[in-house]
Amino acid sequence: MVDVSTPTKWLLRLVAVGYVFFLVAWPVGLVVQQTFSNGLTNLTDALSDEQVIGALQLTLMVALWAVVINLVFGVGISLLLVRFEFPGKRVLSALIDLPLSVSPVVVGLALLLVYNGRDGWIGPAAESRGLQIIFDSPGMIMATCFVALPLIIREVVPVLHEIGDDQEQAARSLGASTRQTFWRITLPSIKWAVVYGVVLSLARSLGEFGAVKIVSGNITGQTQTATLVVEAKYQNFQQETAYATSFLLIVVSIAALVVVAFLRPKRAH
Amino acid sequence: MTSALIGASAAAGPASPEGRRPRRVRRTTPHNTLTRGAGLGLGVAMIWFSLLVLIPLTAVIAAAGQGGWSGYFDVLRNDQTWAAVTLTVSQALVVTLVNIVIGSIIAWVLVRDDFWGKRLLDVIIDVPFALPTIVAGLVLLSLYGPNSPLGLHWAFTPNAVTLALAFVTLPFIVRTVQPVLEELEADVEEAAASLGASRATIVRRIILPSLAPAIAAGAALSFARAISEYGSLVLLSGNRPFQTEVVSVRVLTFIENGNNQSAAALASIMLAVALVVIVALDVVQRRVARRG
Amino acid sequence: MSIDVSGVTKKFGDFVALDDVSVSLPTGQLTALLGPSGGGKSTLLRIIAGLDRADTGTVSIEGTDATRLPAQKRNVGFVFQHYAVFKHMTVAKNVAFGLEIRKRPKAEIEHRVDELLKLVHLSQFSHRLPSQLSGGQRQRMALARALAVEPKVLLLDEPFGALDAKVRKELRDWLRRLHDEVHVTTVFVTHDQEEALEVADEIVVINEGRVEQIGSPDQLYDEPANDFVMGFLGEVTQLGDIRLRPHDIEVSATPGSAGALSGRITRLLRVGFEVRLTVSTAGGEVTVVLTRTHARQLGLVEGSHVWLTAASGATTVPAMVAV
Repeated sequence: MVDVSTPTKWLLRLVAVGYVFFLVAWPVGLVVQQTFSNGLTNLTDALSDEQVIGALQLTLMVALWAVVINLVFGVGISLLLVRFEFPGKRVLSALIDLPLSVSPVVVGLALLLVYNGRDGWIGPAAESRGLQIIFDSPGMIMATCFVALPLIIREVVPVLHEIGDDQEQAARSLGASTRQTFWRITLPSIKWAVVYGVVLSLARSLGEFGAVKIVSGNITGQTQTATLVVEAKYQNFQQETAYATSFLLIVVSIAALVVVAFLRPKRAH
Repeated sequence: MTSALIGASAAAGPASPEGRRPRRVRRTTPHNTLTRGAGLGLGVAMIWFSLLVLIPLTAVIAAAGQGGWSGYFDVLRNDQTWAAVTLTVSQALVVTLVNIVIGSIIAWVLVRDDFWGKRLLDVIIDVPFALPTIVAGLVLLSLYGPNSPLGLHWAFTPNAVTLALAFVTLPFIVRTVQPVLEELEADVEEAAASLGASRATIVRRIILPSLAPAIAAGAALSFARAISEYGSLVLLSGNRPFQTEVVSVRVLTFIENGNNQSAAALASIMLAVALVVIVALDVVQRRVARRG
Repeated sequence: MSIDVSGVTKKFGDFVALDDVSVSLPTGQLTALLGPSGGGKSTLLRIIAGLDRADTGTVSIEGTDATRLPAQKRNVGFVFQHYAVFKHMTVAKNVAFGLEIRKRPKAEIEHRVDELLKLVHLSQFSHRLPSQLSGGQRQRMALARALAVEPKVLLLDEPFGALDAKVRKELRDWLRRLHDEVHVTTVFVTHDQEEALEVADEIVVINEGRVEQIGSPDQLYDEPANDFVMGFLGEVTQLGDIRLRPHDIEVSATPGSAGALSGRITRLLRVGFEVRLTVSTAGGEVTVVLTRTHARQLGLVEGSHVWLTAASGATTVPAMVAV
């Protein structure tokens, strides 16, 4: 290993720590500090504001639905991509990653074009059957699903590759059915990957802003999520409430990070 | 001797496929090994994936195509849109360059250095990934906005755009370079040293070339994210036309004005950039895999 | 003397890797550092190369004190167990690396690289990437790379340890021939006694951070300094109060000679041309090896009664007191 000379080492350390401190640590710290600038008042005020409460409930509902859908879809697609061969597999596996690099605004626009009730491709037909998608929770769930789509798959696929299918074949040779093999062999070995994926998806889903802003219509008290409330409150000069709501979102996302950091086993060298 | 046996079998593993690699024949018709249950599952998954991703993205391209080439041209010819495009692209490039340097340094420090608080630094790097973008904007306002304890008033200036993009793209290069740096074998550097290479030469001729694909991959992701960023800019940049307005905001303005065709035209350009990035990443990864 | 190591001690935390080791390795020879894994032999090699620093003691190479010299300045060639190839460079570029560092003229580098690739039989692979080579080829490339800078000494750390048995044997013979051609002072680390006995001019046996014995392969085999060396170089069994090799025991079916130890054959195993006996005696179990023909002549079967004596001229060491 190259061991850098001591002055260089300190310089690099200073650059790394300094950059992260000024860009991330200090600003986040300031928001936390401002949340508690009046003791707990900001938080309790925010938590007694019906607009905030409603938004938090809606956010949680949308995020949970999105995570459940992505969990089923993600684990299923991962198994299909790793354990089976079929035409178009490579294209599919490349397309799966697409949502990570599509702008949330483009996601919102794309869903709007297809599902709006006025001139969308599918929207009017759905609405005539009583299913409103845009400006309602189904659209918000879809937008959230879209942006968080690859997160579980990206965690599970490498693990499935790594464990190989020896154990599954052994189980089958011992007489286990496909279902038994999945629940008793495959799932336990990808368990932690699924957990990281879910935690990351949850953090992403609770925090989605741009795509949800477009498809929800941002109707106060009806389709306004926590992130939209932060924007609205800040722009309405209710900054204390904006800070307090942000603080709650920061706590959730940092908790997610800590959970993943602790759960993820150290890479073996 | 057991260690000899382990050594031999470990070497036999990688050696044999590598020997074959140059002559490997690509299958032209992939096998189909789907069982009935798996086929059904794939069908359901594909319907959902189409409804969620493929059809909506196609709709963007279709809507953009309604105006034909002249539609694209008109959108880009609009001064305000063009200003947004140049601002976004130039800021994304600046931020990506900063990330290439700083991200590599942070990855180096995380892997090769050891000091009190390193673990904390490692966790903080991921904060921009986990934080909702609107909160990211708010967070940056607290240090760089009107009430800045540093006396900086960067809100609503182009600096604010740089800042927001740097914040949300911080983890990309760090997280792509870090694992590659961890996997670099110490003996390769020792071999170079025993051949007379100085530290600087080892970094330049051995370490950096090994990290280059990871840096390129991280840079591509960072660039793609930067040009598509929206949420963190809302509160911070003020979206002032010709000064701090980025492409995403332009798209949103078009949507709010009911001008879906222009929105789609601009959005489809962003989509194309995203696609280029994905293809580039795939190419880089294949190259690296061949290097072994 | 080409390499003089004196009084070298090296600790990793509480673990003593080398404990006051002194060795002198003569110029132009092929020396093996032999010992069990974790015994300190690789650490000694790395200290000679300057890749590790000794806590105390000195190292001199070709008469100049190298104790404080960084690896870059020692002009030693080092070959690693896992090849340590520069993956992003072609085979030719790998070999040229040390020469380019030394800023030699281009034409000279090209000429030298050609010459070396010919020497290691890799000429036709010069434009390949290392990932397109087999393990044995990669190790030959690594060797050419180390030789390119005309090092004063060539150090190899378990060079064949990661290769499969067949390639290992080929490369071992090839290394011996190469050394006879190039004559550079060479030290290689191995835990395989057969490899050391077959290839080396001289063997240094290292165990638990100490030098157990230094000598030629014959000396070590015939006159082991102690029980450990004897045990490490080949199979050992205990007959009464001496320890000796199983094939140095004479078996007789009748109680002839005086002092013979009597016992009963509890297990008889035929392996190729030899027969291995496990004989249960009053002093415990004894392993005996004899040829198939000899066993047949004696009419040995499981359960036979036999009398065992040490063959005349057998290498023996006194048995250590049982713990």
